[in-house]
Amino acid sequence: MVSLLLISAIGTTLYNRLEDGIYKDKIASAISEGRAAIQFAKYRFTIESLNAKPNFRSLAEEVVKSTNVSAAESGREVVLINTKGLKLKGVPSNLTSNFLKPESIPKSLREVTLTSEELTWERGTLSYINKRELPGVFVGGVLDIPKLGQYEMYMAYDFVSQERSINLIGQSLWVTGFLLLVLILLTASFVLRISVKPIQIAAEVAESLTTGNLTTRMAVRGEDETARLGIAFNQMATTLAEQISRLENLSRIQQRFVSDVSHELRTPLTTIRMAADVISGARANFEPNIARSAELLQSQIEKFEQLLQDLLEVSRFDAEAATLNFTKIDLNVVVKKCIDDLAPVALERGSKINLQPSSERTLIDGDSRRIERIIRNLLNNAIDHSEGGPIDVTLAENDSAISLGVRDYGIGIEKQYWNRVFDRFWRADPSRSRERGGTGLGLSIAKEDAILHGGDIKVWGEIGKGANFVLTIPKIAGMSIESYPLESSTASTQN
Amino acid sequence: MTSVLVVDDDQDLAEMLGIVLNGVGMEVDLVSRGDEAIEVFKNSQPDLVLLDIMLPGTDGIEVCKAIRKQSSRVPIVMLTAKGDTHDIVKGLEAGADDYMVKPFKPSELIARIRTRLRRSSGDINGNLLIGDLSIDIVEHSVLRNGKEIPLTRLEFDLLVAMAKEPGRVFTREALLGEVWGYRHSTDTRLVNVHIQRLRAKIEHEPEAPQIILTVRGVGYKAGGSGAKA
Repeated sequence: MVSLLLISAIGTTLYNRLEDGIYKDKIASAISEGRAAIQFAKYRFTIESLNAKPNFRSLAEEVVKSTNVSAAESGREVVLINTKGLKLKGVPSNLTSNFLKPESIPKSLREVTLTSEELTWERGTLSYINKRELPGVFVGGVLDIPKLGQYEMYMAYDFVSQERSINLIGQSLWVTGFLLLVLILLTASFVLRISVKPIQIAAEVAESLTTGNLTTRMAVRGEDETARLGIAFNQMATTLAEQISRLENLSRIQQRFVSDVSHELRTPLTTIRMAADVISGARANFEPNIARSAELLQSQIEKFEQLLQDLLEVSRFDAEAATLNFTKIDLNVVVKKCIDDLAPVALERGSKINLQPSSERTLIDGDSRRIERIIRNLLNNAIDHSEGGPIDVTLAENDSAISLGVRDYGIGIEKQYWNRVFDRFWRADPSRSRERGGTGLGLSIAKEDAILHGGDIKVWGEIGKGANFVLTIPKIAGMSIESYPLESSTASTQN
Repeated sequence: MTSVLVVDDDQDLAEMLGIVLNGVGMEVDLVSRGDEAIEVFKNSQPDLVLLDIMLPGTDGIEVCKAIRKQSSRVPIVMLTAKGDTHDIVKGLEAGADDYMVKPFKPSELIARIRTRLRRSSGDINGNLLIGDLSIDIVEHSVLRNGKEIPLTRLEFDLLVAMAKEPGRVFTREALLGEVWGYRHSTDTRLVNVHIQRLRAKIEHEPEAPQIILTVRGVGYKAGGSGAKA
């Protein structure tokens, strides 16, 4: 862009100056030659007038014809015009050479010539009778010829060869300018490519890294900046790869440790469990305090077991080592079964569970163990917080997904805590009874299970009005949820 | 008095198991090593075996296979601390009838033991014919051309459950309920592995079964004629 403008500017300036110069040159030479010619003509006419019988006519013709003799290529015309004076017989008032029209001479020039003692000149157009028109310059002067009168004599010089030169220069300038431009463009693009290429390569290698190919590196040649970039880049890639494999290793070690720990814990726990059971079974024979101790022992061990189980699950999620076993599940059936299982517990707390099944029998892809666990968690959670109110379970589906909503009308959750309910061991009100509180990991495991299925659990709640938990998962494993059949905020209304 | 053989390297656990089982009127033999277990089994002929899969010396899986060689009838219940499908399937394929994952509720263990010990209901007398097999309900034997095919109790119960109503399709859940006695289980691994074991024993070509057929997406059924002789 810039170079284009620059070249045009320089070229134009050059052109104009040359043009000016060339014309000036020609005009100057025209003037000096014209002066000479006019003076000479004046001289000849004066001499002739001294003759007894002056033959002005032939002299005039001779003067006019003299043009063709001296100027070979650069045209020179002569015009003699009679302004005032005697009209002699046989001498025409206007004489021109080569059929140049006397009207060519600009009027402004004639006016000036008549009033001036000196030579005058003006640029104009030489028009010929044969319709030829040439740009040129007129040089004029007044001839006062004794016995003849006042004549104006004009020399006309055309610019033909000047034009030719100018054109030639113009063309040359164009060609040169163009070539220069092309050269600049080539150079610029070459330089650009040279400097951009290494960056491009770096970008490609970076992209390759992000796709997980940790072994790609840049080729390094020489010792210039590009090489330094390459070396630094490769260093970074190597460090990244090392970090990643270190982290993977750590994760593996952690996973194995957790697995070993759980295995080691399970065996003594089984023994403890059985012992507690036996003791508890015989508590009718004990004193009240000891009997009660036996009960507490047993219930706490149950809790402990559950906690251990949940911790193991959570550690698998964290190590990204959770496995999924997909089968086809009829959610209506599974939900009904869970409700049947938990209905007695709910009734104990005064809550009735109502089910609104989905209209059709749809089989979805799911890990049945996890799905059941999610449902149980949501139901238990609702039972814990429903404060004796009803619990509404709704199933709804659309083309891509199926939703399960569990709505209770109990204590509710404040908006600022909606997302915190899924935190591990989080309790809205720490002083609340932990009686059936479970391990504190239920909702967080439920959410992770939902995410494993490519779905989610959304929550809504209001203090005193209750809460609504909506599980949504895609019907087909791997697909994404296009729209949600149930929104958590549109809580079903009841009573 | 029912006698149970307990094979587990954790001696405290084994002792506790003994106490619990004694409490419900069962006799218990405690063994802590795999190689000992096979010997004790031969000598004491228990009614049921509780077998821990992780054993020092002879691996639990090997013990299971060895016991099966001795007796195809005795119910074997695996005890395992790992709930991995892989380990459980290996145990079931080696000949175990059922499994319990530690830690378990003692009451559940007892219930499971009792279910396994329960003889299959005797509401049918006589023989069932299915495929080219002749099933004697009372004798608990399966004959082909006069030759007996030894089946474990569970395999037998599984076969009879389906042969009683040939052509009827049983879902896995239904089989779990009828044969294993689990009303609410969705653990289909038990069914799948046992069907495989059954086929391996009674089918001419286990890969192309004729007698126990799979019904895709639903379950299994017994094909061929089954009639009271």
